[in-house]
Amino acid sequence: MMYTFDFSSLWAYWPEFLAGALTTLEMTFAATVLGLCIGVAGAIARGSRHAWLRVVAGGYVELVRNTPFLIQIFFLFFGLASVGVRMPVLAAAVLAMVINVGAYTTEIVRAGIEAVHPGQIEAAESLGLSVPQVYWYVILRPALERVYPALTSQFVLMMLSSSITSQISAEELTAVANNIQSITFRSLETYIVVALLYLVLTVLLKSGFWLLGQGLFPRRRRLGTPL
Amino acid sequence: MKLKLAFGMAALAAAFVMAMPAARADALSDIKAAGKIRVATAMGVPLFAYVDAQLQPAGSDVETAKMIADSLGVKLELVQITNAARVPTIQAHKADILVANLAITPERKKAVDFTIPYATLDIIVAGPKDVAIKDYKDLTGKRIGVTRATVNDMMVSENAKDAEIVRFEDDATLITAVASGQVDLVSTQTAVLAAMNEKKGGDPLDVKFVQKSLDLGIALPQNEPKLKEWLNNWITEKFKSGELPAMFKKFHKRDLPADLLSRKD
Repeated sequence: MMYTFDFSSLWAYWPEFLAGALTTLEMTFAATVLGLCIGVAGAIARGSRHAWLRVVAGGYVELVRNTPFLIQIFFLFFGLASVGVRMPVLAAAVLAMVINVGAYTTEIVRAGIEAVHPGQIEAAESLGLSVPQVYWYVILRPALERVYPALTSQFVLMMLSSSITSQISAEELTAVANNIQSITFRSLETYIVVALLYLVLTVLLKSGFWLLGQGLFPRRRRLGTPL
Repeated sequence: MKLKLAFGMAALAAAFVMAMPAARADALSDIKAAGKIRVATAMGVPLFAYVDAQLQPAGSDVETAKMIADSLGVKLELVQITNAARVPTIQAHKADILVANLAITPERKKAVDFTIPYATLDIIVAGPKDVAIKDYKDLTGKRIGVTRATVNDMMVSENAKDAEIVRFEDDATLITAVASGQVDLVSTQTAVLAAMNEKKGGDPLDVKFVQKSLDLGIALPQNEPKLKEWLNNWITEKFKSGELPAMFKKFHKRDLPADLLSRKD
């Protein structure tokens, strides 16, 4: 069995590949920012004194983490449209990603928060710090610093699973690859190129998170030790 | 350490070689020797290949596959795939032949081999009654849904460059998109349109214009003259005996064109 590789026929499509990769990155960026907000809010809610808040946040996490991402996307795009709630495809795709990654982030941030020693919080309270101050300086910042590696890998995972949104016609990298594959019939080459592009995106994303981490966690940058 | 790595590489290389199909006489003899034929069909295409009320594969493509297996005297193994996977499935030898309403096109002929036409279908642009569309020009700036990697996709992409083309992975998803109101203009084929209007309930979509009448061929890997000859003879025989047209009419409620066999794509 001989196979002659032909990457030259793909060269003409580099603007499409690039546009697909950019769409993937944009979707990932939006989902990361919004997902982190939901994750932090969800984690705080899960540790709340109010039972109803704990129940709502817990229900959200269980619902999202125990159903397939594809079903969540179909529900948002086709299911809701059937009852009259129509969203543009990119909005539906990003919303699905936010809801999905928000649930996972909730659990990761919660782990970080629970790792904060109660004595530190009591100490902060006895020093007269206000509730927001306690949350910001004593709970959230050390918590996020601790779980930062887990958070970043969750966001990278989400970027990779964003390929599923091609199913609802989002023109991201995987959809573009499928289009090009269907025009050129060079499926092996197309998927090799697209795999490499995802690899490049992952490296970009990880470098970005590393830089961000250097800025966000000066203690770690200066000391180089884990909390 | 180096030696271990070398061994590992050799084992890996050996695994690759083993994974490749052994040198073969020809596909037709292989099928007969194996006692089964692997036929790929694109499921989720109304009238051609779909899952019936008993959750069994049905449709004219599925029926054609059964008839071929019967005539060969071998067992049928249906390989169920999506539209976009049709040509790659044959290229990768994941199936022996493909009966999946695949239109015969010059581009596809570079990748796989085709038999003479075994069926036809019309591809059309459809939309709501009150939308005036007569030509590709009228699609400018409009959202139109297609199934990825179909002739529809190619023709709309080629002729309506200023339209916003929304691509779905298979016909079933495109039907869902129409039924749920996510798109109202579509480029598809008549059989799919019938299913859309059935699912949609009120306000059926009308045919706006016919893009092309397509000849469908059975696809097989290139350089298999014996298998191709056998299939061509089979189509000719079953068409002349009336079995193929009768079966087609049972599903599609229309006749195959009388000049089907003499059609040269």
